[in-house]
Amino acid sequence: MTAISADGHMPAPVRRWSRYKHPRSTIRFAVLIAVLAFLSWSIAFLNIDLYRIIGAFPRLWEILATRYFPPDIDYVLDDSFLHSVLRTIEMSLLGGFFGVVLAIPLAWMAARNITISRRIAYPLGRFAIMGSRSIHETIWTILFVTVLGFGMLAGTLALTVFCVGFAGKLFADELEAIDMGPVEALRSVGASNLQVFQYAVLPQIRVAFTGIAIYTWDVAFRAATVVGFFGGGGMGWYLKRTTQQLENTRVAAILLTIIVLVLLAELASGWLRHRIAKMR
Amino acid sequence: MRHERNFAEGREENGLPAERERPVPVLEVRNLKVSYSASGPQILKGIDFAVDGDDFCAVIGPSGAGKSTLIRCVNRLVEASDGDIILFGQDVRKLNGGELRRMRRRIGMIFQEFNLVNRMSVMDNVLSGRLGYTGAFRSLFKVFPREDIERALELLERVGLQDHVDKRADELSGGQRQRVGIARALMQKPEILLLDEPTSALDPKISRDVMRLIKELAREFRVPVLCNIHDVQLALETCNRIIGLQDGYKKFDGPAEGMRKQDLDEIYAMEVL
Repeated sequence: MTAISADGHMPAPVRRWSRYKHPRSTIRFAVLIAVLAFLSWSIAFLNIDLYRIIGAFPRLWEILATRYFPPDIDYVLDDSFLHSVLRTIEMSLLGGFFGVVLAIPLAWMAARNITISRRIAYPLGRFAIMGSRSIHETIWTILFVTVLGFGMLAGTLALTVFCVGFAGKLFADELEAIDMGPVEALRSVGASNLQVFQYAVLPQIRVAFTGIAIYTWDVAFRAATVVGFFGGGGMGWYLKRTTQQLENTRVAAILLTIIVLVLLAELASGWLRHRIAKMR
Repeated sequence: MRHERNFAEGREENGLPAERERPVPVLEVRNLKVSYSASGPQILKGIDFAVDGDDFCAVIGPSGAGKSTLIRCVNRLVEASDGDIILFGQDVRKLNGGELRRMRRRIGMIFQEFNLVNRMSVMDNVLSGRLGYTGAFRSLFKVFPREDIERALELLERVGLQDHVDKRADELSGGQRQRVGIARALMQKPEILLLDEPTSALDPKISRDVMRLIKELAREFRVPVLCNIHDVQLALETCNRIIGLQDGYKKFDGPAEGMRKQDLDEIYAMEVL
């Protein structure tokens, strides 16, 4: 290296620095440009007519005002419909409960850092959770309805599978983020896998798991309203019947009920999760 | 003291005499080599040493010399790639799952970052040191035998935490947490103690207190100690034997009193500054 001489006989070397280094920055910039180019090409390809979109809103408003208004509130206050609402809530609770219970061991298997065996349990757990997630809950409903027939059982099973996928993924992510120190300490004490899980892992994730379980129920409830549409039991079936018979004011009333219930479920779950997060 | 007697009994059960002088070393390591991946660099390049029943043995050396790896090989938190680790007459590397767990419960370990379960009480943290001896049913419902609970309370008193039994571990200060770690390790009635930088997370004064406490307890329970430590001064103060590592090789092995300045210079020769 050239030294800087004190008496100024040799000029001090010029120090250079640039935030943008050639290969890395150039590649990043190129990727960004490519993504933007693809997006604009897709929009052009869609052949979107701006006037049609703008015109759609007044038409939507007109249809809602003339055909769906006023909502047939008496219909949703009918006993049989209220029963179906209750059954929807039951389904979401059952599906959520069994889904979460199944998701915990699967997430344990599918968490890379604490899985029982990386060769066997890890891929199995990953596959089970991924499989449940990759198929949409409506498809699960259709599958279970064809096997088990119409009704709540098919719907509850579909929701269970859905919850396994939903909660399992979140649980596994939470498990992979734990502090491994206590795990190491209890392994060094000679504790068994189950003991390590109970004493070193569970205390770290208990609060997060409770929050995720409540969130899972909230999402399962939203899914439960749709499950009925495909024959899985609950209020969705009424939605299907009224839409097919073009009883639009009744459809409007059912949709309003769903919106209100989902809102309530979300408020309740949000409040509960907030309370639990304080217990950390 | 009461638990000293218990401890001696426990040791006889395991077929080890409780005399101070023993011809066979407790731990013997031969030609130990470790690399974390097949193609990666070798961390330990053939280490030989032995630990006797009354040793308080320090492993010193610059960062990256392999101190921590060496200690962790003994209870197989790190898997060695070659060599023998003979502990209590058994080759640790050849143990299967169940045998390894039975071996591990005879080895107490104290960690740099304490490795306590923060959201669990001090008492539960100490009791968890007994898990290796606790049946699945008992541990599932957290029902520990009465003598374990008594021993835990006794040990907490010994380390000066009798007033913090029901506190959560994260309510304690660093020094207090390490004392919980010491009590947890002693809960095992260990026949050897491994210390992995037990004082690095503590300030100099508390470091000295903690090391003094460990030394006192180790002597009382007659447990040999293998301790990896980067504070040379503290190592010379507490330990009777020093093993010096540098870049995966053993550079020094001898009594602490025999350590000269040039030995230290050689161990730390690679270090810049």
